[in-house]
Amino acid sequence: MRPRPLARLALHIANLLAIAFFLLPLLAVTIGALQSEKSLQAETRSLLPPEWTLDNFRVILSGGAQKGAIFEQATYLPDNVKKIYFAVGNSAVIAVSVTLLTLVFASLSAYTIARLRLRWVAWLVNVNVFARFVPIIVLMIPLYVTFRGFGLLNSIWGVIIAETGFLLPYGILILAPYFATIPRELDEAARIDGCTRFAAFLRVTLPLSTPALASYGAIVFIISWNDLLIPLILNNRAEFMTLPVVIASLVGDVHVFFNLMMAICLVALAPSVILVLLLRKFVVQGLAVGGVKA
Amino acid sequence: MNVPTLATLALVLAYPIFYAAYLSFHKVALAELRRGVFPFVGFDNYTRILTDPLFLLALKNTLVFTIFCVTVEIVLAVAIALLVDQTHVWTGRVTKFLILLPYAVPPIANGLIWAFLYSFDFGFLNRILFTLGLIHEPINWVGYPSTAIFMLAVPYIWRTLPFAILLVHAALQGINPELFEAAAIDGAGALHRFRHVTLPLLRPVIVVILVLRTSFAFTVFEEVLAITQGGPGDATWVAAWYSYKRSFAPPFDIGVGSASAYVLALIVGALAIAYVRAVYRRID
Repeated sequence: MRPRPLARLALHIANLLAIAFFLLPLLAVTIGALQSEKSLQAETRSLLPPEWTLDNFRVILSGGAQKGAIFEQATYLPDNVKKIYFAVGNSAVIAVSVTLLTLVFASLSAYTIARLRLRWVAWLVNVNVFARFVPIIVLMIPLYVTFRGFGLLNSIWGVIIAETGFLLPYGILILAPYFATIPRELDEAARIDGCTRFAAFLRVTLPLSTPALASYGAIVFIISWNDLLIPLILNNRAEFMTLPVVIASLVGDVHVFFNLMMAICLVALAPSVILVLLLRKFVVQGLAVGGVKA
Repeated sequence: MNVPTLATLALVLAYPIFYAAYLSFHKVALAELRRGVFPFVGFDNYTRILTDPLFLLALKNTLVFTIFCVTVEIVLAVAIALLVDQTHVWTGRVTKFLILLPYAVPPIANGLIWAFLYSFDFGFLNRILFTLGLIHEPINWVGYPSTAIFMLAVPYIWRTLPFAILLVHAALQGINPELFEAAAIDGAGALHRFRHVTLPLLRPVIVVILVLRTSFAFTVFEEVLAITQGGPGDATWVAAWYSYKRSFAPPFDIGVGSASAYVLALIVGALAIAYVRAVYRRID
């Protein structure tokens, strides 16, 4: 059924509006990051700058050492801008560790939920459904006091532990239904051949579940890379900050203008946006199944 | 095999939830934190927040924000999901490709990008409108107390819309196309088919989105921090911002912060129960 030309035109217009809405912030951040403070301030009514520059990125990636032409006059740069180098590293270490830990823990638990029909297992599923509703701000206040007692403030480990706990429930909700679709007979065949239950899980169920593991892994990486509240509250020393914390610390800083801010935002959003584009199919599936917190 | 999960959940989820309740009944500020002794104060923290006009305002703002966001999101999600379902239009495939992008953007970066978009003197939105010749004076996008909360809702909707669209889109794929054909044969127009076939079949997924989005929009934080910090005046103080400011800014009153966060948790908890009742039966 081909729609009439007029209906077709209406659909194109609606799509163009949707595309413009989705791209608007990404255009803003890109154009903002590629110009100088001078051009942003001199001409406040034009969309495109008179000249483009990569100096914002030069400043960030050299830790403030290489100032480039547009920052030569600037005598002061906030310390946190100079520490972005570390922040990228911290963010990466945290996101990768959290992804690996949650994959291991969640697949172990999800397997027992999918395979054992026990009452307390059903209860564990319910706990996980509820757990993802707990507002993170409620957890942060007691976590701050608790971790303060354990000496886990201002450490990478504190953040990793907190993020892992926070993101585990989604894994169980995504992985358990998937494991349940893998025929039990495959496990049983492996066990008849002499595998232990654990070996059967490791060699049969897990390799067959790569799509679900990819879905969950991608989602965990994105959320833990993007998360602000946990590292913001647990870590306040510059050497333990993650990228979102650095960004938050620059809010309202008069010495950092939009061009540099946008460049930092672009550095922060690039890894997760690229990951989403590469693993689009898996992320979509994970979101549809797990109803993950956005 | 459940030990790692249970241990982590106990440390990071279960224990803090109960400990937050404990803290909310005690006086916990900087001095108490240093000494490590938290005096019991009963319902003091709760009476203090419930008589604090700023907390009540924050709750009201949160409610306005949430209702606005969730309504707009459901309408947009259904519209865009139907739009990208028309696969014969090539622009629809571009839209479909872009839908997921906002999901990946860090909320705090999203906030700052919109702070740039909204900026009165240097902002991107004003630049666009000037270039198109639509305005002659810059617009102060987040400068008015009466509209600031809605301007704050736009970035939040932008970031969380992908999730809603995906759920609706997945539900649309599950509808048997014969139903539409049967309705078309019976003489139902496009609008009629939408009202009497599509919408009733989408109702379950709309309920899911309604409850999930409502409970998460109640805890909005990053966009507030990046764009308005509660301002102008106190027009965009929301519940999570109140808890954060009370706990981690002077006077660092963690007891009061916990109490306010707990009120938030109880509201969201009620929604969670509604969610489980309404939806999770189908998983078995």
